[in-house]
Amino acid sequence: MSTIRVTGLRVRHRRTLALDGVDLAFGPGVHGLLGPNGAGKTSLIRVLATVAEPDGGRVEILGEDVADRGPRGRVRRHLGYLPQEFGYYPGFTVREFVAYVAWLKEMPAAGTDAAVERAVARVGLADRIDAKVRTLSGGMVRRVGIAQAIVNDPRVLLLDEPTAGLDPEQRVEFRELLRELGATTAVIVSTHLVEDVASACTEVTLLERGRVAYRGTPAALAALGASTGARGDSPLERGYTAALGAHRAPGEVTR
Amino acid sequence: MTTSGPLLYARSRALPVTLAALAGTTAFAVWAARLLDAYLDPDRRVPVVALAPLLAAAVIGVSLHTDSAELDRTAVRPWWPRRLTHLLALTALASALLPAAVLGEAHTFGPPAMIRNTLGCTGLTAAAAVLLGARSSWLPAFGYVSAVYLGSAGARGRAVTVWAWPMQPGAQSGAWAAALAAFAVGGALYVVRGARPDGPRA
Repeated sequence: MSTIRVTGLRVRHRRTLALDGVDLAFGPGVHGLLGPNGAGKTSLIRVLATVAEPDGGRVEILGEDVADRGPRGRVRRHLGYLPQEFGYYPGFTVREFVAYVAWLKEMPAAGTDAAVERAVARVGLADRIDAKVRTLSGGMVRRVGIAQAIVNDPRVLLLDEPTAGLDPEQRVEFRELLRELGATTAVIVSTHLVEDVASACTEVTLLERGRVAYRGTPAALAALGASTGARGDSPLERGYTAALGAHRAPGEVTR
Repeated sequence: MTTSGPLLYARSRALPVTLAALAGTTAFAVWAARLLDAYLDPDRRVPVVALAPLLAAAVIGVSLHTDSAELDRTAVRPWWPRRLTHLLALTALASALLPAAVLGEAHTFGPPAMIRNTLGCTGLTAAAAVLLGARSSWLPAFGYVSAVYLGSAGARGRAVTVWAWPMQPGAQSGAWAAALAAFAVGGALYVVRGARPDGPRA
């Protein structure tokens, strides 16, 4: 059974249709969301995080229809979410900020301190846990964001541009964390960095103008690029370009 | 250092600073009332009764800001009980503190007028927090009360007690109805919808 099932999802931002009848299902594993700017990646992540209401369609997470308030609350206990801009309280330490999110998730108070320390350690910030968030570098703040997203050991983890601001070493460590989490959790990662997808994702979904342009494994996407001779500096970039081209001009390239 | 949820919530909304600011507003109002020799003539309390609630409402309005609106939306529990408690507690506190500046002569810009104006101004800022964002929420109330303060002196007619409610001396029912309506509508809007995010998703 899928952890997430989306049927006929439509999201409109004023006059723009951000998602246009999207059907998707995600199970445990690391799922990369790729696509050009404005393709609908953030809109999809925000609907799955239950912070944005869809204009149409059905979203089921962990077997619950999140359109209803009661199930939505139950699902949120098991959701982790890192928005592109998550915002933090300047006076909070790392420990306090992650604990605040644990409180939002209604985690039992008795286990919160240990869960916070574990989450912070997993992103490599154990030695800065009592530092004010405002004193950290951009990359460290991003890791605080990842820590708050995993503090409740979520069954669904939604990460919007999680590697923005991380240096290469931190990205390598983050991908290891993603692979570890993906063993039991449905992890959906929106990114522009195809190397993140290549090394950490078990599946890739390419969105273009609110529609699904491609779904498959990173290896299959890379093979698509090789077979079409599309532009790009890596096999996956060529696959990305080829899949986008095929979606924009159906019939020219098949998969 | 604490990881208690309610205390973290209070700090996230800068409630310690807000409480200090409300105490400072009260002290300023008491000082201003004495400076104006209001004990000689209660009518001299007009600026205090008009402006002190405005300052308190601005402090309350800014406290409705959240830095992590997007994450707050993922909370398991609905937000309305916390918002209601937040708004009512601060409004009640301001309504209890500010009348200390205008004790006595209740019918002429005394404690009832101060409480009425606190309710009305807080309602305006709460509504503005929903529509404009918490950090700018003081602007409409400031503009309205300033305009009424400057423009209502020579105004005549029954409707004056309604639209010039911040400048009415005491128990005028129209003024109370307008202020209570502003508090009810603004408060309900805020409790149901929350403050508009000030950040990139505004």
